[in-house]
Amino acid sequence: MLANRYSAPLSHPGWQLVPGLLLGLGLLILVAFGLGSMLVTAGSADVASVVNSRYLRGVIWFTVWQALLSVLLTLLVALPVARTLARYRQFPGRSLMLRLMELSLVLPTIVAVSGIIGVYGRQGWVTALLNNWLPGHSWSLYGLNGILLAHVFFNAPLAARIMLQALESVPSPRLRIASQLGLRGWWAWRSVEWPALRPLLPGLCALVFTLCFTSFAIIMTLGGGPAATTLEVAIYQALRFEFDFPQAAVLAVIQLVICGGLWWLVFRQRLEYSLMPNRHFVQGVQLKAWPGQLWFSTLLLAAFALFLVLPILAIASRGLPSLLTFTGHSSPYEQLLSATGRSLLIALPAGLGAVSGALLTLASVSKARGRLLTAIPTSTSYLPLIVPPLVLGTGLFLLLRPGLGNNAQGWTLVSLINGLMALPFVIQVLRGPLARLDTHSRRVADQLGVIGWYRWHRVYWPLMRRPLALALAYGIALSMGDFGVIALFGSPGQPTLPVLLYQQLGSYRMSDAAGTGLWLLLLMVVIFGLLSVIGRPPAHHRYKTVRQPFPEPEHA
Amino acid sequence: MLEVKHLRFRYPGQEAAWEFHFSVLPGQCIAIRGASGSGKTTLLNLIAGFLQQESGTIQLSGRPLEQLEPWQRPITSVFQEHNLFEHLDVATNIGLGLHPGLKLTQDQRHLIDEGLLRSGLPGFGSPMPGDLSGGQRQRVALVRAILRRKPLLLLDEPMTGLDPEVKHNMRALLLEEKARGVTLVLASHDEEDRKILADHHWNL
Repeated sequence: MLANRYSAPLSHPGWQLVPGLLLGLGLLILVAFGLGSMLVTAGSADVASVVNSRYLRGVIWFTVWQALLSVLLTLLVALPVARTLARYRQFPGRSLMLRLMELSLVLPTIVAVSGIIGVYGRQGWVTALLNNWLPGHSWSLYGLNGILLAHVFFNAPLAARIMLQALESVPSPRLRIASQLGLRGWWAWRSVEWPALRPLLPGLCALVFTLCFTSFAIIMTLGGGPAATTLEVAIYQALRFEFDFPQAAVLAVIQLVICGGLWWLVFRQRLEYSLMPNRHFVQGVQLKAWPGQLWFSTLLLAAFALFLVLPILAIASRGLPSLLTFTGHSSPYEQLLSATGRSLLIALPAGLGAVSGALLTLASVSKARGRLLTAIPTSTSYLPLIVPPLVLGTGLFLLLRPGLGNNAQGWTLVSLINGLMALPFVIQVLRGPLARLDTHSRRVADQLGVIGWYRWHRVYWPLMRRPLALALAYGIALSMGDFGVIALFGSPGQPTLPVLLYQQLGSYRMSDAAGTGLWLLLLMVVIFGLLSVIGRPPAHHRYKTVRQPFPEPEHA
Repeated sequence: MLEVKHLRFRYPGQEAAWEFHFSVLPGQCIAIRGASGSGKTTLLNLIAGFLQQESGTIQLSGRPLEQLEPWQRPITSVFQEHNLFEHLDVATNIGLGLHPGLKLTQDQRHLIDEGLLRSGLPGFGSPMPGDLSGGQRQRVALVRAILRRKPLLLLDEPMTGLDPEVKHNMRALLLEEKARGVTLVLASHDEEDRKILADHHWNL
């Protein structure tokens, strides 16, 4: 009979446990080194003088203030949108709208910002309208206005999606009762919506707050001056322009403490939102409507869609002419193509690394027994969130500064950090589909001896190729759009696409900038399109899932 | 001969442990009787190795099984449902039972086709399980179980809820297995199943 306890290739449990453990340990060591070098450098600073500096106190105050305002505005926009989408579950364009709201996850910040400038900037469409209707208005995008606008643009769709998921998971019997009783307005809110939303609000607020707290690219491009500077930008300036390393380190420590604390709050709340489009078509239960509610809802959703679409349209319409000029003194493609090459050189390894790292981590978590062994791979999925990329980058920058000779080393480091930063998101994408193989199926596979490599190749691979392709696309896109880490380690003479775009924005070459933005956008579309084609199973393997998202009780 | 001796098990938080003790001769079928929640499925999962016993032994032809991993035990289970991988086609589902890495010989591929034919599902290799009816899915699971040629078959309500014709077909296949010398452990609510298949009864 079987001489070997594990007959299939790579079926010893160690193969699932150890690589993820090593990865987790490596990450912990890397972070420890980064933070350690930062703390050492910070120790040499006169902490009192940093904390007492008017400028820095202003920076900290502004960072918190803009983040708070952003959270408030985001919720103000997201809540009605989520409620409306939850109420009307079947209207033409709903799924398109949801798709549009997913876009903010992958749209590179700097591209969106260039679009926002195209709409609300000095020569923007909306500004032009304002000039016509309200001559003498004092609207200016740069400063707090622009920051808040961009934050709402990015976070309102995210927040609305999370809230919508909560609202859609309200058990339908409860909805039916509310509908039968004719509840609406305040009482519908109190009986149905508030109980569904309340548990996730603190976590959601913390999430949005942290995202706004660490949004580097937005502040860099729209901040417009020392009056509107946040911690991350101050760190960057201290490192790259003032060469005041101790001050940068102190700021990074402050940043780490605030962010770490907030993420801790988020995780304690167990805010689990899935990044996978898991739309289920629930037969909506109609609640009683106010007179005119339909009109109001239509208007609201139309306005929100317009808000999301306009910047993208602005990029497309302004970028297209610039991409189509082949003549003239300088063709845009020379710069574009070399920047694309650099971006891909960084993003492809980062994406592939993030996906493999995520798989190893998930395998390791599922096999690990005991608190310590479980904690190591688990930390891989959270640590990159708690330690913001710029903070980790700062630490490593301080550590490696004398040794960082050439660009290649810098790019390797950027690719590595980008890959790490993508890990938590990629893990989120893969975790759900991986868990779709239920206990029953796993038992059957065990009995048949489909273990180790065979289990991966024969059972998981057909199940996972689609999510894997999507995860890879996310990983590449996140790294491709990165503007924070590359700003620390890159050199201005050899920009990646986001850096090139930033440079063009900074020197007011708006049409070039729009061209670069559109190019980057198209590149993303190509990446997602290509990977979704690759991820599609062969035709005869496409199976019809028996979809029963809300199993009806037998007697219904 | 299958000998289950003083096999004890309890779920976390359960006060009194279950104890199972019985034996079956090769080529015979024992029917496990008992109300739902009395531990029928638990017993089958213990024998298959999906659950770990507290104490006791399981022997098949004198060979102890209780320390082996599920894939090392010469056993095939057929559950009431969820026997198939939903995202793999029928032929792959059966094929994985013959070689866990799907490295099949031409003969084995032929066996799969033949097995499907014998169970009244000719040419059903390429559909996905989701495209089949409940009865068809159970027959596919049974084909896989039979083709594995293991000396012990564990049947956990394998025919519950199927229509009479399918039941008839499946029972006939199972009787053939018995005649071949396969030992059957059957947990079933169905009086008729037990009457036709079982040689002994054991009450939980």
